[in-house]
Amino acid sequence: MSVALQVSDLRLAIGGVNVVDGIAFSVAPGEVMALVGESGCGKSLTAQALLRLLPRQVRQTGGRILLEGEDITALPERRLRQIRGRRISMIFQEPQAALDPLSPVGAQVREASGLASVAAREAVRRMLAEVGIADPDRRIDQYPFELSGGMCQRVMIASALISRPAVLVADEPTTALDVTIQAQILDLLRRLAAERGTAIVLITHDMGVVADIAERVAVMYAGRIAEIGPTAAVFSRPRHPYTALLLAAIPRLADEPKSRLAVIEGSVPQPSEYGAGCRFVGRCPFADARCNAEPPPLLETDDGHFSACWHTERLA
Amino acid sequence: MNGRFTPGIAAILGLLAIYVFVAVLAPWIVPHNPLRQILLLRLRPPLTYSPSAGWFLLGTDDVGRDLLSRVVDGARASLMVGALSVSVSLLSGTVFGLLAGWFRGWIAIVVMRIVDIVLSIPAILLAVLTVAVLGPSFANLILVLGLTRWPRYTRVAYAQTLQVATLPYIRAAEMAGARAPRILLRHILPNIAGPLMVVATTEFGLMILFEAGLSFLGLGIQPPYPSWGSIMSEGQNYVASAWWMTVFPGICLFGVVLCVNLLGDWLRDRLDPRAQSR
Amino acid sequence: MNPVLAVDGLVVHFPARHGPPVRAVDGVSFTVAERETLGLVGESGCGKSTVSNAIVGLVQPTGGEVRVAGMPVRGADRRTLREIRAKAQIVFQDPATSLNPRMTVGAAIGEPLLVRGLARGRELRERVAALLTEVGLRPEHASRYPHQFSGGQRQRIVIARALALRPALLLCDEPVSALDVSVRAQILNLLVELQQSHAMACLFVSHDLAVVRHVCDRVAVMYLGHLMELAPRDALYTTPRHPYTRALLAAVPEPDPALQRAKPRVPLKGEIPSPAAPPQGCVFHTRCPMAIAHCREEVPAWRHLGETLVACHRAEETPAP
Repeated sequence: MSVALQVSDLRLAIGGVNVVDGIAFSVAPGEVMALVGESGCGKSLTAQALLRLLPRQVRQTGGRILLEGEDITALPERRLRQIRGRRISMIFQEPQAALDPLSPVGAQVREASGLASVAAREAVRRMLAEVGIADPDRRIDQYPFELSGGMCQRVMIASALISRPAVLVADEPTTALDVTIQAQILDLLRRLAAERGTAIVLITHDMGVVADIAERVAVMYAGRIAEIGPTAAVFSRPRHPYTALLLAAIPRLADEPKSRLAVIEGSVPQPSEYGAGCRFVGRCPFADARCNAEPPPLLETDDGHFSACWHTERLA
Repeated sequence: MNGRFTPGIAAILGLLAIYVFVAVLAPWIVPHNPLRQILLLRLRPPLTYSPSAGWFLLGTDDVGRDLLSRVVDGARASLMVGALSVSVSLLSGTVFGLLAGWFRGWIAIVVMRIVDIVLSIPAILLAVLTVAVLGPSFANLILVLGLTRWPRYTRVAYAQTLQVATLPYIRAAEMAGARAPRILLRHILPNIAGPLMVVATTEFGLMILFEAGLSFLGLGIQPPYPSWGSIMSEGQNYVASAWWMTVFPGICLFGVVLCVNLLGDWLRDRLDPRAQSR
Repeated sequence: MNPVLAVDGLVVHFPARHGPPVRAVDGVSFTVAERETLGLVGESGCGKSTVSNAIVGLVQPTGGEVRVAGMPVRGADRRTLREIRAKAQIVFQDPATSLNPRMTVGAAIGEPLLVRGLARGRELRERVAALLTEVGLRPEHASRYPHQFSGGQRQRIVIARALALRPALLLCDEPVSALDVSVRAQILNLLVELQQSHAMACLFVSHDLAVVRHVCDRVAVMYLGHLMELAPRDALYTTPRHPYTRALLAAVPEPDPALQRAKPRVPLKGEIPSPAAPPQGCVFHTRCPMAIAHCREEVPAWRHLGETLVACHRAEETPAP
């Protein structure tokens, strides 16, 4: 099986604390891989690291990122600029903020294509049509403020994909959108991944979005992967207490109304509160002395399904 | 600067304390009478010794007065002018800005148009007119400075109030049943105090310099009484030949303005509970 | 029995600097009975938050009538408004901005009691302590500042403040949308408990259909300033009558891959029109998969269909989901 993106043992530190601590996953062409977690779990930093767009105060202290087999962790900025947008692209949560307000959307997509102007206009028009923008001939000359949020996200996707990158990193692409628009965008991403063979790394906090389009999912907690595996397996047989509790805490359309929802006590720890052992230890019903002392390794429990918990068997 | 008490801030507070101490005790600690002219000892450089009158550590001015004594005595006038005029304009400007930002509508239109008008009148003209009508005196000087500077605070207070007033905790205060004065004083003012503090500290130095300009026009501290500004404006005719007349009061002014600005930054952070116990 | 809240033909228009006014709420009617929780769902810009703000007079209704415990909100003088706000309290979406950062938690919770002269000094401190305990915090938290708490704890503080006056009606404006999933359940459990123990009526405004289903007895669906459908919870979720309700239910991604992928898709074409220039006829017709010529011409009446209230010309034909 070929691999579009492979991340191994990624470590990112802010002020001496590894806020991303040994993240590893890979994505195949055409596959949608979700990184899911709550705020502060390190999913967005991981996404930024994939494009080498880390904030200044964040340092990478370990790990490798292989893009189509090439290690991009050590590349100079000049080479990275050639890679970004061509071989790996990114779309963001606030599409309207990510577009230049003073430039027509068509020009922004064209800029990402790197094509000369005459051939480019037709290519841009086709790309806009492909991402489901009705009436692309008119839209191509409009400015971002004339388009809705959903339409701006389509434009972002068009400019991210026009150069046929191997990998698309989508950082909460539907969080700022309404559910009916979200459904449209998710359908679009699913179709583009299948048709173009783009590998998609989807960053989200929404388990519903994961269930909808991801083939595999990595559940992150406090900078580490708690559990990773095929989406269906992770949702039906979670092997980490965090995943199990998280899934139980979400109200569902099939639940008994007004029943007590399962609760994860307390709140997500701050990086300054990370201990030596498992980072979920303060909120975990299974926690014991070993969990406090030693971080659990990520071990395979079923086929392709890994969990980092000393007490995986108690969830069986 | 994160609001913690550091050696740096201790040094700043210490230096400011010395300034205030010197200003208050000026009449008792000056080595010479700051008004006494010794015409034989005009424009003498620093470290001049005269067998009859003694040491002139910072030299003498153009009419033979001891510069050190004048700088020490002038500290009182300058610091008073700075502190009082900033207080007057900060207080009045903030009140107008809060009211305009909270009630909006015609109150805001009236207040902000007055602000525009006052800001567009040359400050010197306004000062000259006020002093011409009321006559020169220390109280009128403060009044003039207050009258010309309040719009700076009003602008900041107005913009900040508009912004804070939209926040849910202000809605919550309305829901609690709080009336306008309480909302303005307990909920809005503490949350806009930071930017106002920054304006006030930068204005403090400007006020001392502005007083100098007015003194030059004969509208500020009346001669022969010294202020840093008036000493410097007297000295500017002799910059080439007697640099000390402008440099020493200038250094004093520089030091106090810098300290006040740093103190302002520190206070802004100190007053913010978010900056502590993180 | 009089309802705690009666909204009748509520209209809220905001004047725009250029062009026609924004018709945020355009003729909305519903009631909330004692101890009842009514959900108000819709997408951003549909006017649901404006409805809750208008109920307590934080925005002025342009037309229609709102009564809280019998008191009319429209045209209320300052004293009446103060009384209305003693009966109806509100919990906002973002706990980070719902608390004054320069005020201790105790002062914030005690403020409604203090400014109304209901308690002071030692009694005030005791009541604040009791409220903190009730929402799952500790009395000693009263002397701390909001930034020392996590998002979920801050929302507890906001809820404590809203409960201070023992309101008959609690308006929750997206109370869990800004919270992390693991904390959301804590707050939802707390709200359900408090609503029952205090015998409060509750208007629960949210975009999250699963959350609304969890806490509400009846649900109203809003689109572009209008109510589309209002029905008892089970009726709305099992037999939605309005095509918009159906599309909304289909669009919510269920956190269950098997269920979610088997779900029928009802893709809505296009985008939400601007509330400054809503479509003629039924406001939903531009995106409705069932729209016919009649829908473009005539505004559908708000009518009963079984136990459901619905505004759709073709509500009878809505296929079962």
